Amino acid sequence: MNDPATCFSLSTASASEAAGHSPSPQPGSKMFSALAPITDAVTLFLDGQPITASAGDTVAVCLLRAGVSYNRLMPVSGAPRLPYCMIGHCFECLVEIDGIGNRQACLTPVRDGMKVRRQAGAPPALEPSAP
Amino acid sequence: MTINAPLPDADVIIIGCGPAGMTAAVELAEAGRSVIVLDMQPTPGGQIFRNLEANLCDTSLAGQSLLAALGPAYRAGADLIQRFKACSSIDYRPQTTVWEVRPDGTVGWLQGMNAGYVRGRQVLLAHGAMERPVPFPGWTLPGVMTAGAVQTLLKAGHLKPRGNIVLAGTGPLLLLLANQLHQLGVKPALVGRTDRLSDNVRAARHLRPDGLIPLVKGLGWLGRLKLAGVKSVTGLENLAAHGAQSVESVSFTVGGKRRTLPCDLLIVHDGIVPAIDIPNAAGLRLQWDGPNASWRPATTPDGLGASTLPPEMSAEPCVLRITGDARKIGGADAAMAHGRVAAQAILAALDHGAGPSAEALRAVGKALSVRPFLDAAFPPGLAQALPDDDTIVCRCEELTAGDLRAKIRSGFRNMDALRGETRCGMGPCQGRSCMVTAARLLQDETRAADCPPTFRGRPPIRPIPLGAVAALSGLDPRATIRLTLEDKPENASEDTVDAPAE
Ligand code: FES
Ligand code: FES
Repeated sequence: MNDPATCFSLSTASASEAAGHSPSPQPGSKMFSALAPITDAVTLFLDGQPITASAGDTVAVCLLRAGVSYNRLMPVSGAPRLPYCMIGHCFECLVEIDGIGNRQACLTPVRDGMKVRRQAGAPPALEPSAP
Repeated sequence: MTINAPLPDADVIIIGCGPAGMTAAVELAEAGRSVIVLDMQPTPGGQIFRNLEANLCDTSLAGQSLLAALGPAYRAGADLIQRFKACSSIDYRPQTTVWEVRPDGTVGWLQGMNAGYVRGRQVLLAHGAMERPVPFPGWTLPGVMTAGAVQTLLKAGHLKPRGNIVLAGTGPLLLLLANQLHQLGVKPALVGRTDRLSDNVRAARHLRPDGLIPLVKGLGWLGRLKLAGVKSVTGLENLAAHGAQSVESVSFTVGGKRRTLPCDLLIVHDGIVPAIDIPNAAGLRLQWDGPNASWRPATTPDGLGASTLPPEMSAEPCVLRITGDARKIGGADAAMAHGRVAAQAILAALDHGAGPSAEALRAVGKALSVRPFLDAAFPPGLAQALPDDDTIVCRCEELTAGDLRAKIRSGFRNMDALRGETRCGMGPCQGRSCMVTAARLLQDETRAADCPPTFRGRPPIRPIPLGAVAALSGLDPRATIRLTLEDKPENASEDTVDAPAE
């Protein structure tokens, strides 16, 4: 595997490409199943792909329901992370929401038209300069 | 010209809208006091009654079976939430995070992109607990979650786990969750408890009559799991999660034998501890609670906190009180009982009234009387042994126990020096997940008798966008007076400067 520092600094556009995963969220989750179908559907965009959620869900719930394999890659090692505590303590659920980075997905309710991007390592300003 | 201190925005500001915060708010509002309640969540209830109102209204079959699985202790919050919402005089501000609290009653808040300060003549911290952070190999992998997180997903996300599920750790919440999952048709592959029968037997001497109900409840959970054929072990040690991009298997030791199980979701829980982020940053005195391996704020029985500064150095008396699980872990009943006591103490401080009634204080004692038993029966397990050198301690900065030990040995022998040198505690969570382990490592390496103090907490303790800082409302007008810089020789030509005005 490539050195994570260089591997993940290549792309700011799509975290998923950098990590070598398919860019679209996988259908369904291997970790969670829904107790009930989506009600009061709203559509948001995850890395540009439309995805539905129930009004009142948090962004973190929406991501876990969709079965994404991570919401961010660590700025240090590039390791993938998913929400851990769901109550605002651990800050593992950070994503970019409507252009603002490092928002806590577990504290942010979904909104129709919301643009969510997963985070690919360090933000561009912190990238090591290319050799 | 003298500029007066800003007028208070309310008699009381309450931070947190769980059982303790709601009880206190209702009590104070009914006594005619103005109350502002700030809470991170979108609806009242706290974590224990999370999303209760909406779930009660859900008449679908799925909704009803979720309510049945979550059980009567969850539904028990309905009455309090209703009373809270019926108090139209309470200024309730949901989805609001708190990024600063000062001992004089000033509170920094953020809601969406707006931020500011509000002031209370008295402030009540009712922000609750967090799950004890438990570093073990693989705890940062996707597919490792806390029991509280999975419960939140049930209550507020209507998601249930699937696949190979392993629950590991200790405490009532772990067993409760295992039961709730079973009721929803999810059969965990294993419930691995770190507590041992010997802990449970030894705990029996702490049993008080009031403790029998929780005991019977707990035995009922165990019995049902056994009937359902859920595998369970006790005395689990050395837990590890393995996998490349997410958890694929877990391993652990039981009775000296190493075992490995396939796993898609590892649910961990090692008991809950008071969340000390706000009291620590407010400069309140914390004490180390040995048996619970956690800090808790030092308070009087009615919840009054104490500043770490000596009295002659604090400009104004401390008006911060702490209640509920943020003060002492006791669960919802104890939180409601203490919320009442704290409210009565606040009324006394505002009006020079009589203070908490003997009956209200007794109710707290009664609700807490089961704790010694629970503490002895479920001692900290996963977090008991300090992590190996290769285990990540600081999740945010990906620092291992070995990294920290090496720095401590090379001379960084206090918490703030260690933080400055390693960045441990400087990640997005600001040490919420790593501080206690860093402190225990420091204690171990320096052979100190007591656990060292925390990292010094500084505002903002939660992120706040720069745009919101630029437009802060509620600034103290005294901060806008012209400051003289005469004592700075390089400013001799220029004798005054405008401090930032609101
Ligand atoms: S999942 Fe822990 S802060 Fe969001
Ligand atoms: S875990 Fe260390 S700063 Fe978050």
